[in-house]
Amino acid sequence: MNQLTSALFISRKDVESYYGKPPLITWGMLFPAVLMLAVYVKDPTTYLDVAPGIIAMTLLFGNTSMAAIVVTFEKRSGTLQRLLLAPVTHRTIVLGKTASAAAYGIATSLVITIGLALLLGMTVSNPLVFAIGLVLGAGVFSLLGLIASVMVREVFEAMTLLNFLRFPILFISGVFMSMAALPSWIKPVTFISPLTYVVELLRYGIFGQSYFSSPWVCIFVVSGFLALSWLVAGPVFRRNANR
Amino acid sequence: MHTTVRGEVVSLTADGADSAIEVRGLCKSYGETRALENVDFTVRSGEVFGYLGPNGAGKTTTINILSGLLDRDAGDLAICGLDIVQDPVAVKRRIGVVPEESNLYPELSCRRNLEYLGELYGLSRAARRTRIDELLAAFDLSDKKETPFRTLSRGMKRRLTVAAGLIHSPEVLFLDEPTAGLDVPSARVLRALIQTINRDGTTVFLTTHNLAEAEALCGRILILVKGHAVTEGTAAEIRRRVEEATSVSVVFSGHVEEEMLLETCPAVHSAVSTEGRWRLEASDSHAALTQIISFAEQQGLRVLEIGTYTTSLEDAFMTILKQDVKREPRL
Repeated sequence: MNQLTSALFISRKDVESYYGKPPLITWGMLFPAVLMLAVYVKDPTTYLDVAPGIIAMTLLFGNTSMAAIVVTFEKRSGTLQRLLLAPVTHRTIVLGKTASAAAYGIATSLVITIGLALLLGMTVSNPLVFAIGLVLGAGVFSLLGLIASVMVREVFEAMTLLNFLRFPILFISGVFMSMAALPSWIKPVTFISPLTYVVELLRYGIFGQSYFSSPWVCIFVVSGFLALSWLVAGPVFRRNANR
Repeated sequence: MHTTVRGEVVSLTADGADSAIEVRGLCKSYGETRALENVDFTVRSGEVFGYLGPNGAGKTTTINILSGLLDRDAGDLAICGLDIVQDPVAVKRRIGVVPEESNLYPELSCRRNLEYLGELYGLSRAARRTRIDELLAAFDLSDKKETPFRTLSRGMKRRLTVAAGLIHSPEVLFLDEPTAGLDVPSARVLRALIQTINRDGTTVFLTTHNLAEAEALCGRILILVKGHAVTEGTAAEIRRRVEEATSVSVVFSGHVEEEMLLETCPAVHSAVSTEGRWRLEASDSHAALTQIISFAEQQGLRVLEIGTYTTSLEDAFMTILKQDVKREPRL
């Protein structure tokens, strides 16, 4: 049987098993929704400026949390070992787990996007670029979550480790203000964060313009991060999955 | 009882065509600790092979290496003629593994657990449905079809875990302590199922601490101590290897002096009486029995009970472990 089909089966089972877990609801839905509401209440005239950042943040937290929950839970319960005994490659498992986490992140981001559109009148001027931003970002963040969580055993360890990555990324990536408004000393660091490019892709999708002159710059860079994460995830998973 | 162990692995079958598993010179270390040291064995197709040893002997390490969960440091191994490192997916299609701890998805029902594994093993939808029904019926879990795995009793969990290992009708089934922690009726049911699985043609590689279970189920047994294969053969062969003397159990109709008994029966080396029952160690059981009966006649006593005492596999196992204490400690 095709390994791709196996990856789909793995993904579908994860969706079936884990989408209702409380940490996913908290981090994936409530946290960004409450944050967006706070921004709106503070200033109803400029809240849309931070919408791309909030959606990207939803993607970051949703994807990484899903990957962390699935991998650590399955390591503890022994079901990941069960999966390792099946006739599937490590890459197939990484693909399946990443796909389920990515699907979750995309779904929660879309819920926030639809909520913003219906309740606060946000429009998406370039849906294709917006969708590309969601898909590429979901891929990178899911792989990031998987890499971090396969190295530990407990959900809280995975969440702690991820928070060390997520919060600094959030700070340097122009989530709460546009790139143009960031202080000049922080900009060099901003360019090494994948979240920066995801935010700018979503910004282009919503407003039709971003910090970068062309969305292709962001697509190219995020694709590079995706390829790098994919290359790193295989060996890291192989080395740590059965520990 | 004075016993010795030959302490060597019996010659292995050179017939590779009929072997399900061939292992040569298998080595594995965890840091400075050597878990497996030059382990050799062959499991023939269609047999139940017992892999016994005390805790920490290296049994689970062996299963993990054979099933591709762990890398070996050295050695050659072939499962159904294939190497797990060279062709892991092909080997995994041919083997089923039932680990010591049940590892199915707690939130999924019995049916969904088996269905998911059937999907991963490439069974068609129709084949999955048929196989799931067959397995649930065979393992007496049909009425628990839609019950989540986490709510099953321990015995049911073990049965479903074994069923999951069989979803793709593997050629070789690894069972790691399958009856550990089960009550007597559940363990008995599981043992009967293992015999049925084997009769249906599946080669079974079994680890267990229950030596009576090993004796009842396994055609051949290998005893592993501190990562070394110490002895291999049928249960009877292993017992014979540790038997230096025969034990005779006898009950006389009246009082017997130990000194006189030993003097009159030269084939008897030692005698111990417990509540009227004598346990005698003899080099030649036939001569000992004749001499004991003559002794009773001379003393005007009747022999109420007499018989040779058979060394159990457990006795043999304990003797082997005692011998192994003399082995140099591993680094």
